[in-house]
Amino acid sequence: MKTEAPTRYPVYVPKAPRTWWLRTAPYRRFAAREFTAVFAAIFSVILLLFLSALSQGKEAYEGFLRWLRLPAVVALSSIILLAMLYHAGTWFRLTAHIQVFRVGKNDVPRGAVVAALLGIWIVVSVIVAYLYVWF
Amino acid sequence: MSEGRVALRVGRYRPEHAPEPYFDDYDVPTSDDMVVLDALNHIKDHIDGSLAYRWSCRMGVCGSCGMMVNGVPRLTCSTFMREFRSEPIVVEPLQYFPVIRDLVVDMTDFLEKLRMVKPWIIRGEEKPVDEGEYLQTPDEVDRYKQFSMCINCMLCFAACPVYGQDPEFLGPAVIALAHRYDLDSRDQGRAERKGILEVNNGIWDCTFVGECTVVCPKDVDPAAAIQRSKVSTATQTLRAVVWPFGGRE
Amino acid sequence: MDRSPIDELSLGDILEESDAREVKRRPPSARPRRESRMRQLLRPEPMFWGLFSAGGFVAALLLPITVGILGIAFAAGWLPVEALSYERVVDLVSHPLAKLYLLALVSLPLFHWAHRFRYTVHHQLGVHGLKRLVAVACYGTAIAGAAFAALVLFRI
Repeated sequence: MKTEAPTRYPVYVPKAPRTWWLRTAPYRRFAAREFTAVFAAIFSVILLLFLSALSQGKEAYEGFLRWLRLPAVVALSSIILLAMLYHAGTWFRLTAHIQVFRVGKNDVPRGAVVAALLGIWIVVSVIVAYLYVWF
Repeated sequence: MSEGRVALRVGRYRPEHAPEPYFDDYDVPTSDDMVVLDALNHIKDHIDGSLAYRWSCRMGVCGSCGMMVNGVPRLTCSTFMREFRSEPIVVEPLQYFPVIRDLVVDMTDFLEKLRMVKPWIIRGEEKPVDEGEYLQTPDEVDRYKQFSMCINCMLCFAACPVYGQDPEFLGPAVIALAHRYDLDSRDQGRAERKGILEVNNGIWDCTFVGECTVVCPKDVDPAAAIQRSKVSTATQTLRAVVWPFGGRE
Repeated sequence: MDRSPIDELSLGDILEESDAREVKRRPPSARPRRESRMRQLLRPEPMFWGLFSAGGFVAALLLPITVGILGIAFAAGWLPVEALSYERVVDLVSHPLAKLYLLALVSLPLFHWAHRFRYTVHHQLGVHGLKRLVAVACYGTAIAGAAFAALVLFRI
Protein backbone atom coordinates (compact mmCIF):
# COMPACT_ATOMS: atom_id res chain seq x y z
CA MET A 1 0.00 0.00 0.00
CA LYS A 2 1.53 3.33 -1.09
CA THR A 3 1.67 6.18 1.36
CA GLU A 4 -0.87 8.84 0.57
CA ALA A 5 1.57 11.72 0.22
CA PRO A 6 0.43 14.96 -1.40
CA THR A 7 1.69 15.13 -4.99
CA ARG A 8 2.12 18.89 -4.86
CA TYR A 9 3.10 21.25 -2.10
CA PRO A 10 2.48 24.98 -2.08
CA VAL A 11 5.49 27.15 -2.72
CA TYR A 12 6.01 30.85 -2.67
CA VAL A 13 7.74 32.07 -5.81
CA PRO A 14 9.07 35.57 -5.22
CA LYS A 15 9.25 37.94 -8.17
CA ALA A 16 12.76 39.23 -8.81
CA PRO A 17 12.37 43.02 -9.04
CA ARG A 18 13.13 44.85 -12.28
CA THR A 19 15.34 47.29 -10.40
CA TRP A 20 17.50 44.54 -8.96
CA TRP A 21 20.55 46.33 -10.34
CA LEU A 22 19.97 49.33 -8.09
CA ARG A 23 19.84 47.33 -4.89
CA THR A 24 23.44 46.51 -3.97
CA ALA A 25 26.73 48.29 -4.67
CA PRO A 26 28.22 45.39 -6.69
CA TYR A 27 25.07 45.22 -8.83
CA ARG A 28 25.16 49.00 -9.39
CA ARG A 29 28.81 48.85 -10.45
CA PHE A 30 27.94 46.02 -12.82
CA ALA A 31 25.11 48.01 -14.40
CA ALA A 32 27.39 51.05 -14.80
CA ARG A 33 30.07 48.91 -16.39
CA GLU A 34 27.62 47.43 -18.88
CA PHE A 35 26.22 50.84 -19.71
CA THR A 36 29.61 52.16 -20.82
CA ALA A 37 29.09 50.18 -24.02
CA VAL A 38 26.38 52.68 -24.98
CA PHE A 39 28.95 55.49 -24.91
CA ALA A 40 31.34 53.43 -27.04
CA ALA A 41 28.56 53.06 -29.61
CA ILE A 42 27.79 56.78 -29.50
CA PHE A 43 31.42 57.53 -30.24
CA SER A 44 31.40 55.06 -33.13
CA VAL A 45 28.55 57.11 -34.57
CA ILE A 46 30.55 60.32 -34.06
CA LEU A 47 33.51 58.72 -35.84
CA LEU A 48 31.20 57.65 -38.66
CA LEU A 49 29.96 61.23 -39.00
CA PHE A 50 33.58 62.39 -39.01
CA LEU A 51 34.52 60.02 -41.83
CA SER A 52 31.33 60.77 -43.73
CA ALA A 53 32.02 64.51 -43.57
CA LEU A 54 35.58 63.83 -44.68
CA SER A 55 34.35 61.92 -47.70
CA GLN A 56 32.08 64.79 -48.69
CA GLY A 57 34.85 67.33 -49.11
CA LYS A 58 36.56 70.18 -47.36
CA GLU A 59 33.51 72.25 -46.55
CA ALA A 60 31.55 69.39 -45.02
CA TYR A 61 34.60 68.33 -43.06
CA GLU A 62 35.25 71.81 -41.63
CA GLY A 63 31.58 72.07 -40.72
CA PHE A 64 31.96 68.87 -38.76
CA LEU A 65 35.04 70.22 -36.99
CA ARG A 66 33.02 73.28 -35.95
CA TRP A 67 30.34 70.96 -34.57
CA LEU A 68 33.03 69.07 -32.65
CA ARG A 69 34.00 72.28 -30.88
CA LEU A 70 30.48 73.05 -29.61
CA PRO A 71 30.37 73.07 -25.78
CA ALA A 72 27.57 70.52 -25.69
CA VAL A 73 29.59 68.16 -27.86
CA VAL A 74 32.69 68.66 -25.75
CA ALA A 75 30.59 67.83 -22.69
CA LEU A 76 29.38 64.67 -24.41
CA SER A 77 32.96 63.77 -25.35
CA SER A 78 34.02 64.22 -21.74
CA ILE A 79 31.32 61.83 -20.58
CA ILE A 80 32.34 59.36 -23.28
CA LEU A 81 35.97 59.64 -22.20
CA LEU A 82 35.11 58.95 -18.56
CA ALA A 83 32.95 56.02 -19.60
CA MET A 84 35.75 54.59 -21.75
CA LEU A 85 38.24 54.93 -18.90
CA TYR A 86 35.87 53.08 -16.58
CA HIS A 87 35.38 50.48 -19.28
CA ALA A 88 39.14 50.05 -19.75
CA GLY A 89 39.78 49.68 -16.01
CA THR A 90 37.06 47.08 -15.54
CA TRP A 91 37.97 45.31 -18.79
CA PHE A 92 41.59 44.84 -17.72
CA ARG A 93 40.52 43.51 -14.33
CA LEU A 94 38.06 41.09 -15.93
CA THR A 95 40.70 39.92 -18.40
CA ALA A 96 43.15 39.25 -15.56
CA HIS A 97 40.43 37.26 -13.81
CA ILE A 98 39.85 35.00 -16.80
CA GLN A 99 43.28 34.63 -18.32
CA VAL A 100 45.85 33.01 -16.09
CA PHE A 101 49.50 33.04 -17.11
CA ARG A 102 51.83 30.37 -15.81
CA VAL A 103 55.49 31.09 -15.23
CA GLY A 104 57.21 27.89 -14.18
CA LYS A 105 55.28 26.50 -11.23
CA ASN A 106 53.34 29.60 -10.33
CA ASP A 107 50.58 31.76 -11.67
CA VAL A 108 51.30 35.39 -12.44
CA PRO A 109 49.40 37.40 -9.81
CA ARG A 110 46.32 39.18 -11.13
CA GLY A 111 47.60 42.60 -10.10
CA ALA A 112 50.65 42.09 -12.31
CA VAL A 113 48.48 41.19 -15.30
CA VAL A 114 46.40 44.34 -14.82
CA ALA A 115 49.58 46.42 -14.54
CA ALA A 116 50.91 44.87 -17.75
CA LEU A 117 47.65 45.65 -19.57
CA LEU A 118 47.82 49.22 -18.28
CA GLY A 119 51.38 49.43 -19.57
CA ILE A 120 50.25 48.22 -22.99
CA TRP A 121 47.44 50.75 -22.89
CA ILE A 122 49.89 53.60 -22.24
CA VAL A 123 52.26 52.52 -25.02
CA VAL A 124 49.43 52.08 -27.52
CA SER A 125 47.96 55.45 -26.59
CA VAL A 126 51.28 57.20 -27.14
CA ILE A 127 51.83 55.54 -30.53
CA VAL A 128 48.27 56.26 -31.65
CA ALA A 129 48.43 59.87 -30.46
CA TYR A 130 51.59 60.35 -32.47
CA LEU A 131 49.91 58.92 -35.56
CA TYR A 132 46.81 61.07 -35.10
CA VAL A 133 48.60 64.35 -34.47
CA TRP A 134 52.17 64.44 -35.75
CA PHE A 135 52.70 61.69 -38.31
CA MET B 1 26.81 43.87 21.11
CA SER B 2 29.58 41.28 21.31
CA GLU B 3 28.24 39.56 24.44
CA GLY B 4 24.61 39.81 25.38
CA ARG B 5 21.57 39.66 23.23
CA VAL B 6 20.69 40.61 19.69
CA ALA B 7 17.54 40.85 17.62
CA LEU B 8 17.07 38.41 14.77
CA ARG B 9 14.44 38.99 12.11
CA VAL B 10 13.64 35.68 10.45
CA GLY B 11 11.67 35.07 7.28
CA ARG B 12 8.66 32.82 7.79
CA TYR B 13 6.39 31.16 5.30
CA ARG B 14 3.62 28.92 6.58
CA PRO B 15 1.05 28.50 3.82
CA GLU B 16 -1.39 26.75 6.12
CA HIS B 17 -1.56 29.95 8.20
CA ALA B 18 -0.96 32.77 5.69
CA PRO B 19 -0.57 32.88 1.91
CA GLU B 20 2.35 35.35 1.96
CA PRO B 21 5.71 35.23 3.70
CA TYR B 22 6.21 37.37 6.79
CA PHE B 23 8.88 38.07 9.42
CA ASP B 24 9.14 36.95 13.03
CA ASP B 25 11.36 38.83 15.45
CA TYR B 26 13.36 36.96 18.04
CA ASP B 27 15.67 38.03 20.84
CA VAL B 28 18.62 35.65 21.05
CA PRO B 29 21.79 35.50 23.11
CA THR B 30 24.96 36.26 21.25
CA SER B 31 28.68 35.90 21.83
CA ASP B 32 31.91 36.25 19.92
CA ASP B 33 32.06 32.61 18.94
CA MET B 34 28.46 32.18 17.89
CA VAL B 35 27.34 31.83 14.31
CA VAL B 36 23.94 32.63 12.83
CA LEU B 37 23.15 28.92 12.71
CA ASP B 38 23.65 28.77 16.47
CA ALA B 39 21.10 31.57 16.83
CA LEU B 40 18.61 29.68 14.65
CA ASN B 41 19.18 26.52 16.68
CA HIS B 42 18.59 28.53 19.85
CA ILE B 43 15.29 29.77 18.44
CA LYS B 44 14.29 26.26 17.47
CA ASP B 45 15.29 24.74 20.81
CA HIS B 46 14.10 27.41 23.23
CA ILE B 47 11.77 29.92 21.61
CA ASP B 48 9.89 28.68 18.57
CA GLY B 49 10.06 25.03 17.63
CA SER B 50 8.04 25.61 14.47
CA LEU B 51 10.92 27.28 12.62
CA ALA B 52 12.00 25.17 9.62
CA TYR B 53 15.48 25.40 8.14
CA ARG B 54 18.20 23.16 6.72
CA TRP B 55 21.58 22.50 8.26
CA SER B 56 23.91 19.59 8.77
CA CYS B 57 27.68 19.64 9.22
CA ARG B 58 27.83 23.10 10.87
CA MET B 59 31.38 23.49 9.55
CA GLY B 60 31.03 24.72 6.00
CA VAL B 61 31.43 21.52 3.99
CA CYS B 62 27.95 20.16 3.39
CA GLY B 63 26.32 23.16 1.75
CA SER B 64 22.97 22.71 3.51
CA CYS B 65 22.62 25.93 5.49
CA GLY B 66 22.67 28.53 2.73
CA MET B 67 20.41 31.52 3.50
CA MET B 68 20.29 35.27 2.94
CA VAL B 69 21.81 37.09 5.90
CA ASN B 70 21.24 40.85 5.69
CA GLY B 71 20.59 40.43 1.99
CA VAL B 72 23.77 38.49 1.18
CA PRO B 73 23.86 34.74 0.43
CA ARG B 74 25.83 33.14 3.27
CA LEU B 75 26.38 29.77 4.92
CA THR B 76 24.82 30.42 8.31
CA CYS B 77 27.23 27.99 9.97
CA SER B 78 30.14 30.13 8.81
CA THR B 79 28.66 33.57 9.48
CA PHE B 80 29.71 34.89 12.87
CA MET B 81 27.32 37.03 14.90
CA ARG B 82 30.20 39.34 15.85
CA GLU B 83 30.35 40.44 12.21
CA PHE B 84 27.17 42.50 12.56
CA ARG B 85 27.16 45.98 13.97
CA SER B 86 23.47 46.77 13.67
CA GLU B 87 20.23 45.06 14.58
CA PRO B 88 18.15 43.26 13.65
CA ILE B 89 20.09 40.62 11.77
CA VAL B 90 17.79 39.63 8.94
CA VAL B 91 17.73 35.97 7.90
CA GLU B 92 15.73 35.03 4.82
CA PRO B 93 15.49 32.02 2.55
CA LEU B 94 17.96 31.78 -0.34
CA GLN B 95 17.07 34.30 -3.04
CA TYR B 96 15.65 33.32 -6.45
CA PHE B 97 14.36 29.96 -5.28
CA PRO B 98 10.75 29.02 -4.52
CA VAL B 99 10.16 28.84 -0.77
CA ILE B 100 8.64 25.66 0.60
CA ARG B 101 8.48 26.73 4.23
CA ASP B 102 10.21 29.36 6.39
CA LEU B 103 13.88 29.20 5.38
CA VAL B 104 13.63 26.02 3.28
CA VAL B 105 13.79 26.48 -0.49
CA ASP B 106 12.96 24.15 -3.34
CA MET B 107 16.15 22.81 -4.89
CA THR B 108 14.46 20.89 -7.71
CA ASP B 109 15.52 23.31 -10.44
CA PHE B 110 19.15 23.20 -9.38
CA LEU B 111 19.21 19.41 -9.12
CA GLU B 112 17.53 18.97 -12.50
CA LYS B 113 20.04 21.23 -14.19
CA LEU B 114 22.96 19.57 -12.44
CA ARG B 115 21.80 16.22 -13.77
CA MET B 116 21.49 17.60 -17.29
CA VAL B 117 25.19 18.53 -17.56
CA LYS B 118 26.22 14.97 -16.57
CA PRO B 119 28.66 15.83 -13.81
CA TRP B 120 30.52 12.53 -13.88
CA ILE B 121 33.40 10.99 -15.81
CA ILE B 122 32.16 10.02 -19.26
CA ARG B 123 34.33 7.57 -21.16
CA GLY B 124 34.11 6.57 -24.80
CA GLU B 125 35.55 3.25 -23.70
CA GLU B 126 35.89 2.10 -20.13
CA LYS B 127 39.24 0.68 -19.09
CA PRO B 128 38.82 -2.88 -17.76
CA VAL B 129 39.40 -3.10 -14.03
CA ASP B 130 42.41 -5.41 -14.29
CA GLU B 131 44.22 -2.78 -16.37
CA GLY B 132 44.38 -0.64 -13.28
CA GLU B 133 43.40 2.91 -12.39
CA TYR B 134 43.36 6.01 -14.57
CA LEU B 135 46.56 7.85 -13.71
CA GLN B 136 46.83 11.60 -13.43
CA THR B 137 49.82 13.84 -12.90
CA PRO B 138 49.57 16.58 -10.25
CA ASP B 139 49.39 19.13 -13.09
CA GLU B 140 46.42 17.31 -14.60
CA VAL B 141 44.68 17.40 -11.22
CA ASP B 142 45.46 21.09 -10.79
CA ARG B 143 43.62 21.87 -14.01
CA TYR B 144 40.25 21.03 -12.53
CA LYS B 145 40.83 20.83 -8.76
CA GLN B 146 39.50 24.27 -7.93
CA PHE B 147 36.19 23.61 -9.69
CA SER B 148 35.77 20.27 -7.94
CA MET B 149 35.50 21.97 -4.54
CA CYS B 150 31.85 22.88 -5.09
CA ILE B 151 29.59 21.82 -2.20
CA ASN B 152 26.34 22.51 -4.08
CA CYS B 153 25.31 25.14 -1.55
CA MET B 154 23.60 27.27 -4.24
CA LEU B 155 24.84 30.57 -2.81
CA CYS B 156 26.09 31.42 -6.31
CA PHE B 157 22.59 30.95 -7.72
CA ALA B 158 21.24 33.30 -5.08
CA ALA B 159 23.85 35.88 -6.05
CA CYS B 160 23.35 35.58 -9.81
CA PRO B 161 21.00 38.24 -11.21
CA VAL B 162 20.85 36.42 -14.56
CA TYR B 163 19.38 33.40 -12.80
CA GLY B 164 17.09 35.75 -10.91
CA GLN B 165 15.78 37.27 -14.13
CA ASP B 166 15.84 34.18 -16.33
CA PRO B 167 15.09 30.89 -14.57
CA GLU B 168 16.06 28.97 -17.70
CA PHE B 169 19.72 29.90 -17.15
CA LEU B 170 21.80 26.88 -16.14
CA GLY B 171 23.50 28.77 -13.33
CA PRO B 172 27.05 29.22 -12.02
CA ALA B 173 27.64 26.04 -10.00
CA VAL B 174 26.17 23.81 -12.70
CA ILE B 175 28.38 25.26 -15.41
CA ALA B 176 31.43 25.24 -13.14
CA LEU B 177 30.88 21.55 -12.37
CA ALA B 178 30.41 20.71 -16.05
CA HIS B 179 33.64 22.61 -16.75
CA ARG B 180 35.36 20.61 -14.00
CA TYR B 181 34.63 17.43 -15.90
CA ASP B 182 35.52 18.92 -19.27
CA LEU B 183 38.93 19.78 -17.80
CA ASP B 184 39.45 16.34 -16.27
CA SER B 185 41.97 14.33 -18.32
CA ARG B 186 40.05 11.14 -17.62
CA ASP B 187 36.84 12.54 -19.10
CA GLN B 188 35.83 12.11 -22.74
CA GLY B 189 32.39 13.65 -22.50
CA ARG B 190 32.89 17.24 -23.62
CA ALA B 191 30.94 16.70 -26.83
CA GLU B 192 28.02 15.32 -24.86
CA ARG B 193 27.89 18.33 -22.59
CA LYS B 194 28.23 20.86 -25.43
CA GLY B 195 24.59 20.62 -26.41
CA ILE B 196 23.42 21.84 -23.03
CA LEU B 197 26.33 24.13 -22.15
CA GLU B 198 27.09 25.96 -25.34
CA VAL B 199 23.56 27.06 -26.12
CA ASN B 200 21.66 30.17 -25.19
CA ASN B 201 20.69 29.15 -21.68
CA GLY B 202 24.15 27.85 -20.95
CA ILE B 203 27.39 29.74 -20.88
CA TRP B 204 26.30 32.51 -23.26
CA ASP B 205 23.61 33.90 -20.97
CA CYS B 206 26.24 34.77 -18.40
CA THR B 207 27.22 38.43 -18.42
CA PHE B 208 30.13 38.05 -15.98
CA VAL B 209 28.53 39.93 -13.11
CA GLY B 210 30.98 38.03 -10.95
CA GLU B 211 28.90 37.93 -7.76
CA CYS B 212 28.83 34.15 -7.86
CA THR B 213 32.59 34.06 -7.32
CA VAL B 214 32.36 36.67 -4.55
CA VAL B 215 29.86 34.67 -2.47
CA CYS B 216 31.29 31.19 -3.06
CA PRO B 217 32.44 29.80 0.32
CA LYS B 218 34.85 27.32 -1.28
CA ASP B 219 36.65 29.63 -3.76
CA VAL B 220 35.41 27.66 -6.73
CA ASP B 221 35.32 30.81 -8.89
CA PRO B 222 32.42 29.77 -11.14
CA ALA B 223 32.68 33.08 -13.02
CA ALA B 224 36.16 32.13 -14.24
CA ALA B 225 34.95 28.68 -15.24
CA ILE B 226 32.17 30.15 -17.36
CA GLN B 227 34.27 32.83 -19.05
CA ARG B 228 37.04 30.32 -19.79
CA SER B 229 34.44 28.07 -21.40
CA LYS B 230 33.44 30.98 -23.61
CA VAL B 231 37.04 31.67 -24.59
CA SER B 232 37.71 28.02 -25.31
CA THR B 233 34.53 27.57 -27.37
CA ALA B 234 35.12 30.78 -29.32
CA THR B 235 38.73 29.91 -30.14
CA GLN B 236 37.76 26.37 -31.12
CA THR B 237 35.11 27.74 -33.47
CA LEU B 238 37.54 30.29 -34.91
CA ARG B 239 40.20 27.65 -35.44
CA ALA B 240 37.71 25.31 -37.09
CA VAL B 241 36.55 28.04 -39.45
CA VAL B 242 40.06 29.18 -40.36
CA TRP B 243 41.48 25.66 -40.57
CA PRO B 244 38.58 23.23 -41.04
CA PHE B 245 40.77 20.19 -41.45
CA GLY B 246 41.75 17.87 -38.63
CA GLY B 247 38.92 17.76 -36.13
CA ARG B 248 39.53 17.61 -32.42
CA GLU B 249 36.51 17.16 -30.15
CA MET C 1 4.05 -4.29 15.28
CA ASP C 2 2.21 -2.97 12.24
CA ARG C 3 4.31 -2.45 9.16
CA SER C 4 4.67 1.24 8.63
CA PRO C 5 3.44 2.38 5.19
CA ILE C 6 6.93 3.82 4.54
CA ASP C 7 8.30 0.25 4.37
CA GLU C 8 6.07 -0.45 1.40
CA LEU C 9 7.63 2.34 -0.67
CA SER C 10 10.30 1.44 -3.19
CA LEU C 11 12.98 3.85 -4.33
CA GLY C 12 11.16 4.11 -7.63
CA ASP C 13 7.97 5.16 -5.84
CA ILE C 14 9.79 7.82 -3.87
CA LEU C 15 11.50 9.23 -6.95
CA GLU C 16 8.23 9.24 -8.85
CA GLU C 17 6.53 11.14 -6.08
CA SER C 18 9.38 13.61 -5.91
CA ASP C 19 9.21 14.14 -9.67
CA ALA C 20 5.46 14.70 -9.44
CA ARG C 21 5.94 17.53 -6.99
CA GLU C 22 7.29 19.62 -9.82
CA VAL C 23 7.62 23.34 -9.36
CA LYS C 24 6.63 25.99 -11.91
CA ARG C 25 10.20 26.58 -13.13
CA ARG C 26 11.10 24.42 -16.06
CA PRO C 27 14.62 23.23 -16.74
CA PRO C 28 16.13 24.31 -20.06
CA SER C 29 14.13 22.81 -22.87
CA ALA C 30 17.16 21.96 -25.00
CA ARG C 31 17.57 18.23 -25.30
CA PRO C 32 21.29 17.52 -25.48
CA ARG C 33 21.97 16.04 -28.85
CA ARG C 34 25.24 15.18 -30.52
CA GLU C 35 25.65 17.99 -33.03
CA SER C 36 27.46 17.62 -36.31
CA ARG C 37 30.57 19.70 -36.73
CA MET C 38 28.81 21.87 -39.30
CA ARG C 39 25.92 22.55 -36.94
CA GLN C 40 28.35 23.49 -34.20
CA LEU C 41 30.13 25.97 -36.43
CA LEU C 42 26.87 27.56 -37.52
CA ARG C 43 26.04 28.55 -33.95
CA PRO C 44 26.27 32.31 -33.87
CA GLU C 45 26.95 32.68 -30.15
CA PRO C 46 30.72 32.07 -30.20
CA MET C 47 31.08 34.57 -33.04
CA PHE C 48 29.00 37.26 -31.28
CA TRP C 49 30.96 36.77 -28.11
CA GLY C 50 34.25 36.88 -30.05
CA LEU C 51 33.25 40.17 -31.68
CA PHE C 52 32.14 41.49 -28.30
CA SER C 53 35.51 40.57 -26.84
CA ALA C 54 37.48 42.10 -29.71
CA GLY C 55 35.33 45.21 -29.50
CA GLY C 56 35.96 45.42 -25.79
CA PHE C 57 39.71 45.44 -26.34
CA VAL C 58 39.47 48.07 -29.09
CA ALA C 59 37.26 50.22 -26.89
CA ALA C 60 39.61 49.85 -23.95
CA LEU C 61 42.91 50.34 -25.74
CA LEU C 62 42.09 52.74 -28.56
CA LEU C 63 38.97 54.74 -27.72
CA PRO C 64 40.22 56.71 -24.71
CA ILE C 65 43.09 58.33 -26.63
CA THR C 66 40.89 58.84 -29.71
CA VAL C 67 38.17 60.54 -27.68
CA GLY C 68 40.79 62.51 -25.80
CA ILE C 69 42.32 63.88 -28.98
CA LEU C 70 39.29 64.32 -31.22
CA GLY C 71 36.76 65.21 -28.55
CA ILE C 72 38.73 67.20 -25.99
CA ALA C 73 42.23 68.19 -27.09
CA PHE C 74 41.06 69.55 -30.43
CA ALA C 75 38.31 71.71 -28.94
CA ALA C 76 40.66 72.91 -26.21
CA GLY C 77 43.18 74.05 -28.81
CA TRP C 78 45.93 71.77 -27.53
CA LEU C 79 46.70 70.31 -30.95
CA PRO C 80 49.09 71.83 -33.52
CA VAL C 81 47.12 74.01 -35.93
CA GLU C 82 47.41 71.77 -38.98
CA ALA C 83 46.93 68.48 -37.12
CA LEU C 84 43.30 68.01 -38.16
CA SER C 85 43.40 70.02 -41.37
CA TYR C 86 41.41 68.56 -44.25
CA GLU C 87 44.48 68.02 -46.42
CA ARG C 88 46.43 66.17 -43.76
CA VAL C 89 43.54 63.98 -42.62
CA VAL C 90 42.53 62.98 -46.15
CA ASP C 91 46.14 62.09 -46.81
CA LEU C 92 46.34 59.97 -43.64
CA VAL C 93 43.02 58.21 -44.14
CA SER C 94 43.71 57.39 -47.79
CA HIS C 95 46.30 54.83 -46.80
CA PRO C 96 44.77 51.32 -46.94
CA LEU C 97 46.18 50.44 -43.52
CA ALA C 98 44.54 53.54 -42.08
CA LYS C 99 41.23 52.49 -43.61
CA LEU C 100 41.52 49.04 -42.08
CA TYR C 101 42.34 50.58 -38.71
CA LEU C 102 39.41 52.98 -38.92
CA LEU C 103 37.04 50.23 -39.99
CA ALA C 104 38.02 48.24 -36.89
CA LEU C 105 37.89 51.33 -34.69
CA VAL C 106 34.33 52.11 -35.76
CA SER C 107 32.86 48.61 -36.14
CA LEU C 108 34.25 46.57 -33.29
CA PRO C 109 32.98 48.84 -30.49
CA LEU C 110 29.58 48.70 -32.22
CA PHE C 111 29.58 44.92 -31.98
CA HIS C 112 30.75 45.22 -28.40
CA TRP C 113 27.78 47.50 -27.69
CA ALA C 114 25.38 45.22 -29.59
CA HIS C 115 26.18 42.15 -27.48
CA ARG C 116 26.26 43.96 -24.16
CA PHE C 117 23.13 45.99 -24.88
CA ARG C 118 21.22 42.90 -25.98
CA TYR C 119 21.68 41.43 -22.50
CA THR C 120 21.08 44.81 -20.85
CA VAL C 121 17.66 44.92 -22.50
CA HIS C 122 16.77 41.49 -21.15
CA HIS C 123 18.35 41.66 -17.70
CA GLN C 124 18.41 45.29 -16.63
CA LEU C 125 15.48 46.68 -18.62
CA GLY C 126 13.43 43.61 -17.81
CA VAL C 127 12.35 42.66 -21.32
CA HIS C 128 11.71 38.94 -21.11
CA GLY C 129 10.94 37.33 -24.43
CA LEU C 130 11.32 39.00 -27.85
CA LYS C 131 14.72 37.36 -27.75
CA ARG C 132 15.15 37.01 -31.46
CA LEU C 133 13.87 40.53 -32.16
CA VAL C 134 16.25 42.14 -29.67
CA ALA C 135 19.21 40.15 -30.99
CA VAL C 136 18.46 41.02 -34.61
CA ALA C 137 17.95 44.70 -33.73
CA CYS C 138 21.26 44.92 -31.86
CA TYR C 139 23.51 42.95 -34.17
CA GLY C 140 21.69 44.37 -37.18
CA THR C 141 22.51 47.89 -36.06
CA ALA C 142 26.16 46.96 -35.63
CA ILE C 143 26.28 45.33 -39.06
CA ALA C 144 24.66 48.39 -40.59
CA GLY C 145 27.20 50.66 -38.90
CA ALA C 146 30.09 48.52 -40.07
CA ALA C 147 28.72 48.44 -43.62
CA PHE C 148 28.26 52.19 -43.65
CA ALA C 149 31.81 52.65 -42.38
CA ALA C 150 33.17 50.39 -45.12
CA LEU C 151 31.19 52.35 -47.72
CA VAL C 152 32.39 55.74 -46.52
CA LEU C 153 36.00 54.62 -46.21
CA PHE C 154 35.89 53.17 -49.69
CA ARG C 155 34.81 56.56 -51.00
CA ILE C 156 37.66 58.50 -49.42
